[in-house]
Amino acid sequence: MNASPAMLKSTGGAPVDPITVEVIGNALSSIVEEMGETLVRAAYSTNIKERRDSSTCLFDARGRTLCQAMHIPMHLGSLIGVVEHISKRHDLSDLREGDVFVGNDAYTGGGTHLPDIVLAEPIFFQGELVGWATNLAHHADFVDRGHDHIFQEGLRIPPVRLYRAGKLQQDVMDLILLNMQVPRERLNDFRAQMAANRQGIQRFQSLCTRYGKDLLLAACDALLDYAERLTRAGIATIPSGVYSFEDTFDGDEIDGSVVFKCRIEVKGDEMHLDFDAPPQVRAGINLVWTGLLATVYYAVKTLIGADVPPNEGMFRPIHVTATKGSILNCVEPAAVNARLDPCQRVVDLIHGALAPAIPDRITAAHNGACISSTFSGVNPKTGDYYVYLETIGGGFGARAAKDGLDGVHAHLTNTSNLPVEALEGEYPLVVERYELVDDSGGAGKHRGGTGLRRQIRAEGHTCRTFIHGSRRLSSPWGLFGGGGGGRCHFTYSQDADPPQKGYTFLKHGQSVTIVTPGAGGYGEPAQRDRALLERDIADGKVSLTEARRLYGYTG
Amino acid sequence: MWRVGVDSGGTFTDICLVDQETGEVRVWKVSSTPDDPSRAIAGGVVEGLDKAAGATGRDVSYFGHGTTVATNALIQHRGVRTGLVTTSGFRDLLEIGRQRRPHLYDLQCDKPHLLVTRDMRIEVSERIRNDGSVEKSLDAAEVRAAIRTLKEAGARSIAVCFLYSYVDPRHEALVRAIAAEEYPDAFLTCSHEVAPEFREFERLSTTVVNAYLGPVMHRYIGHLGPRLDEAGVNAPRHITASNGGVMSFEMARNQPVRTVLSGPATGVVGGLKTGVLAGFPNLITFDMGGTSTDVALIEEGKAKLAGEMDVHGYPLKTPMLDIHTVGAGGGSIAYIDAGGLLKVGPRSAGAHPGPVCYGLGNEEPTVTDANVTLQTLNPTHLLGGRMKIDQGKAKAAIARLAGRLGLDPMATAQGILSVVTANMAKAIRVISVQRGHDPRDYTLVAFGGAGPLHASRLARELDMKRILVPRNPGILCALGLLLTDLQTNYAQTSIMAVEASTIARMRATFAELRRRADEWFQREGIAPEGRTVNATVDMRYAGQNYELPVAFPADADDETLLATLRGGFERAHRLMYGYIAEEEPMQAVTFRLEAIGAVPKAEIKARPPATGKVEDAIVGTRDVWLAEAAGFVSCPIYDRERLGPGHCFAGPAIVEQMDATTVLLPGQSASVDPYLNIIVEG
Repeated sequence: MNASPAMLKSTGGAPVDPITVEVIGNALSSIVEEMGETLVRAAYSTNIKERRDSSTCLFDARGRTLCQAMHIPMHLGSLIGVVEHISKRHDLSDLREGDVFVGNDAYTGGGTHLPDIVLAEPIFFQGELVGWATNLAHHADFVDRGHDHIFQEGLRIPPVRLYRAGKLQQDVMDLILLNMQVPRERLNDFRAQMAANRQGIQRFQSLCTRYGKDLLLAACDALLDYAERLTRAGIATIPSGVYSFEDTFDGDEIDGSVVFKCRIEVKGDEMHLDFDAPPQVRAGINLVWTGLLATVYYAVKTLIGADVPPNEGMFRPIHVTATKGSILNCVEPAAVNARLDPCQRVVDLIHGALAPAIPDRITAAHNGACISSTFSGVNPKTGDYYVYLETIGGGFGARAAKDGLDGVHAHLTNTSNLPVEALEGEYPLVVERYELVDDSGGAGKHRGGTGLRRQIRAEGHTCRTFIHGSRRLSSPWGLFGGGGGGRCHFTYSQDADPPQKGYTFLKHGQSVTIVTPGAGGYGEPAQRDRALLERDIADGKVSLTEARRLYGYTG
Repeated sequence: MWRVGVDSGGTFTDICLVDQETGEVRVWKVSSTPDDPSRAIAGGVVEGLDKAAGATGRDVSYFGHGTTVATNALIQHRGVRTGLVTTSGFRDLLEIGRQRRPHLYDLQCDKPHLLVTRDMRIEVSERIRNDGSVEKSLDAAEVRAAIRTLKEAGARSIAVCFLYSYVDPRHEALVRAIAAEEYPDAFLTCSHEVAPEFREFERLSTTVVNAYLGPVMHRYIGHLGPRLDEAGVNAPRHITASNGGVMSFEMARNQPVRTVLSGPATGVVGGLKTGVLAGFPNLITFDMGGTSTDVALIEEGKAKLAGEMDVHGYPLKTPMLDIHTVGAGGGSIAYIDAGGLLKVGPRSAGAHPGPVCYGLGNEEPTVTDANVTLQTLNPTHLLGGRMKIDQGKAKAAIARLAGRLGLDPMATAQGILSVVTANMAKAIRVISVQRGHDPRDYTLVAFGGAGPLHASRLARELDMKRILVPRNPGILCALGLLLTDLQTNYAQTSIMAVEASTIARMRATFAELRRRADEWFQREGIAPEGRTVNATVDMRYAGQNYELPVAFPADADDETLLATLRGGFERAHRLMYGYIAEEEPMQAVTFRLEAIGAVPKAEIKARPPATGKVEDAIVGTRDVWLAEAAGFVSCPIYDRERLGPGHCFAGPAIVEQMDATTVLLPGQSASVDPYLNIIVEG
C-alpha cells in the first residue's frame, strides 16, 4: 500500500520534496551510527567497549525523536523522555552552547534504570537551538546494592548540567564519581560519551550549513510524517479487531509467579494497547512508563516493518495505557534495576495476542528474559575493585517458515558477549564453558532456538555475584502445536552459599553455571522435516530420547 | 617483453598487457567461464597476446591475477566439508559468535550460513591462560582420536582454534604435527597462523573460513598453473590479496582467506597508482559497477587497512584494504516505498535483463534508465555503438514512477540520481568522516563502468574539489595488477605499557616480525635493495579495547621513540575522538609489520602535449537535462580517443569512450594530463 503525496508536506514547515527527505534521512542515520562507533571505541568499561551496551539518538528542538541508532531498542525508553525532563527542570531560555546535561533517574530524569546514564547536549546553529545530541551508556556500576526501592539501587541523578557553556562542573562530576564503585572507568566512559555527542553536534551543524536550517528542519518534520505513514500502512495490514493474551512472570527477586495481561485493539491504521499487571513490588522488576513505551514501539515495529525509521512519527498511531502503580507502569519509589525481564515478557504478550491475526509474521516466544549476571570484588592482581556485567542471550522463537535462532540476544536487548580473551585479562574470573543447551529449543515443525550455558569460576578472591532472570517457572511458549522452550536455571558449586534474591558469593575455585531459556517451537512437531530432525540429532541439539518422545522419531 | 594483468570477473575476463620497454598499454576482453575460470584466463591471455600484441606466452615477464574464486565460494557456500578442533567448552562459539542477532527488528533474518556443522566440531581438553601458563596440557592421544573422527566423517579440511593461541601456539602446533601423521591429505589451518590476535570468535571465524576455502583455492590454482604452463607463460605468477598487495600462488593456496577482497582490492590499487602517478597522493577511489560500488580511502599514497571486517557476514581478521561496498550501481532499481519516498537499490536488474532501455523485459526503471532519460548517457547506443538501446522504454518507465510520485518525469529521473548519489556519499563518509578524514582534502578517482558518469555530482555532494578519471576506467583493475608490489603483513598481539621499561620488548617483538618478513623476502626472491618494511603499533589508553595505529620509528633512540609513540597516539586520538586524557597510561597492543618487496612494474609513460586543438575532439552536441539549469542544456560531446595531454575544456560537457561516459557539470573544468587522465575541477 503506497501513499502518494506529491510533496511531503510537513506538519508545520514548508513542503520538501521526497528526494531531499530521503537524502537527509540517510544523513541523520549515519550521524547516530558514527556517534555510536565513537562511544564504543573510546570507552573503557567492557560493558560498553566490547558488549556495546549503549545507544545514540538525535532529537529536534522540541524533544521529538529524529533518529535512534540500531543498537539497543530498550534504550529508547531512557532517551525519549530526557528532553522533556530537562525542560521541566530548567529554563531553556538560558541554555548555552556547550551545556551538557547528565541524568539517569527513572522518575525525574526520563531513565528506565539507574546504570543507564544519559548525556544530552543541545545543538545550536547560528545562535538558535535546533536539536539535541544524546547518548546513553550502561555503566556497569551501582553493584552489590538492594532492590527494595529505587533509593537502594544507586545514585539518582535528575538532569543537571555536567558542563556549563563548555566548562566541566567539577563539583557535579565529583559528586557522581564518589558514588560510583569503579570511578576511573566511569570518568573515561563519560569522556567517550562526550566525544560521541560532540561528533553528532558537528555533523548536524554541517547539515544545517549545507541545506539551510529551515530546509533541514522541514525535512526532519517530513521524516516524522513519513515514519507515521509507514506505520499506519503497516498497522492497516493487521486485521482490525480486539486481541488479548496473558502470560505468567517469575523472577529471582520474587516468590512464585504473577500474571501480566494485554488487550490490543486494532482499528484501521491505529492500534491501542492496554496492559494490566499486579501492583508494583519491592523488587527490581518494575517498569516505568517510558520503558513500557519503548517496549511497545519495538514489538510493533517487528510486525509492521523493520525499515520504519525509529523516530517520533512512528509513535503517533500507537496508543498505550497501563494500570498506574502496577509492575508495568510503576511509580516512585519502585525499584527498576531488572526492568528488562518484564519488558521481554511484554513483547511476548503483544506477539502472543496478535498471533491469530498475523500468524505468518509472529514468532513463537523468544527466551522471554534478559539473564543478567554481575560479578564484583577486589581483583587480587591489581588491588582494584572491579565490576563485570554480562547479560546472556538465549533462544529466538521459531518462525512460520523456519527455525528460530540458537543462542542470540532477543528482542529489547542486543549486547555482545565479552570475549573470553578480553575478560580473563581484566577480571579474576575464568570462563569454563560457553555453549548451546541441548534439548532447549521448543519442539515443532520449526524448532525454537536453543538457550546458552555459561560457566564462570572465581579465581584468587571472593567474588560477589548477582544473577537473575525470568522463565524459571514457565517455558517460552510454542505456537500452533509447537512445544515450549527450555527454562533457565543457575547452578552454583555445591559448597557455595545458596543465593538470596539472586545474590551470593563465590570463593576461589567455586563457579556458577548459568543456563538461559530456549524458545518456543512453531507448528506440530510431527510435521517436522525428517532431514532437519536428523540434522538436529546428529548435531546433538535434539537428543534421540527427546526426538522419540516429542517428534515421534522412529529411526 | 609483456607484463600481463588479468582481472577475472563474473561476466568478463579483462586482460591488460603492458609493454615493458615502452610502457604501452593494450587491452583485451573475453567472456568469463564461471565453471572453470582458468579456461578463460589462459585462453584470453593467449588470444590477447596474439591479437593485441602479436606476442606469445614466452614473451610474458610477469603474470598478475585478481580473482573472485574465494569470494564466490564463500557467498555460494561452495567450500569443502570442514572439521574443527577447539578448546573444551567452546565448540559452539562458531554458532554463537558475539551473540548479537543478525537484524535488530527483522524477525525473519538469519545468521550467516554455518560453515562447520556441530557434529564436525570436536572439543579437546586443553587450556592455556592469558599469561601463557598452561593450566591443562593437550593430550596427544585425544588429538589423534579427534583427527581420526573428522577423517572418518569426511572432513577434507580441518580448522584448529584454541583459546590464547596468539599468546602461545604450542597446542595448535601439536595438532598440526599429529594431523600430518594421521591425515596428511587434509588441508589444515591453525588460528595462530592466520590471525594471531585476541578476541577468540573473530580469530575462529577467520580460521574456519580459511579452512573452508583452502581446497577450493588449491584446486583452482591446480588448474590455472598447468594451463599457464601450456600457454608457455613461465613468468612469476601472482594473485592479488585483500590488502592490495600481490602474493605467490603458493601463499594464496595456503591462506585463501587473504584473497576474499582480491577483486575490489585490485581496483583500489589501480586507482591508487594512477592517482599517485598523476601527482595526487590523497585519494578516494570510487569503483561503480552494475550492481555495487566499492569505495576506499588513500592517504599519502597508501591505502587504509582495516584490522577486521565482516565479509558476507563472516568476521575476518586478515589484512584487508578498508573497502566499503554499497549495493548501488547502474542496474539498481528505483521504486517508491510504502511511505511514499523514492528508494534506489539494493535490488538490481543485473546484466540480464538489465535496465529497461535494454528492451530485454525489465519494466522497472534503473539508474541507467534515469541517465538515458536525462541524456547524460547516449540515448541511442552504449559501448561505443556496439549496443543499441531504447530511450522510449526508459522514459516510459520513469514517467510511470513520476506519476506515482506526483513529480515531473525529468525531476524524477534526476531524483533517482540524487538518491543513488546520497547512498554513495554515505559510503564515502563511512571510510572518511567516520575515520576522522575530511573528504574535501581528497581527490575522487572515478572508475568502473558507471564511476565517471556519477562522479561529478558525488564530488559536489561531498564538497570534493577534484576528480580524476583514468584513461581506461573499465579495465583499471587489470591494469592495477601491473602496478603493484609484493606485499604481506605480519602482526603480533603483545599487550604492554608504553614506557621506557618496555622499549626493549617492543624492539624485540618487531625484530621477530622482521625475521619472518626476511624469510618471506627470501622465499619470494626479493633482492635486499627491493625490501621495504613499515612498522606500526596499535595503541590505546589502558582501559580502551580499540586501538589506533601509530608509526614505530625503529631506528630512533629510546627517548625519541617513546616521545614519538606518545605524540603520535595523542594526535591520532584527538583526530578521531576530539580529546586526549592526559593522566591516563597508554598501552601497545598489536605490533604490525608491513613488508613490501619491489618487483619490476609496468611504467605508464608520460605523453607529449597534444598537437591538435581540443575542438577537434568534439564529435557532436547533445541536449542533456541538468538539475543545475532545471532543464535541457546543449552540451558538446568529446571523444576520449581524440583528447590528448594539455587539452582543456569546460562543463557542461560529456566525454564518451567505449567503456565509460564522463559528465562535466556547469562550473566544472577539465584538463587532460600527460598520462591521459582527465582531471575535473570545480
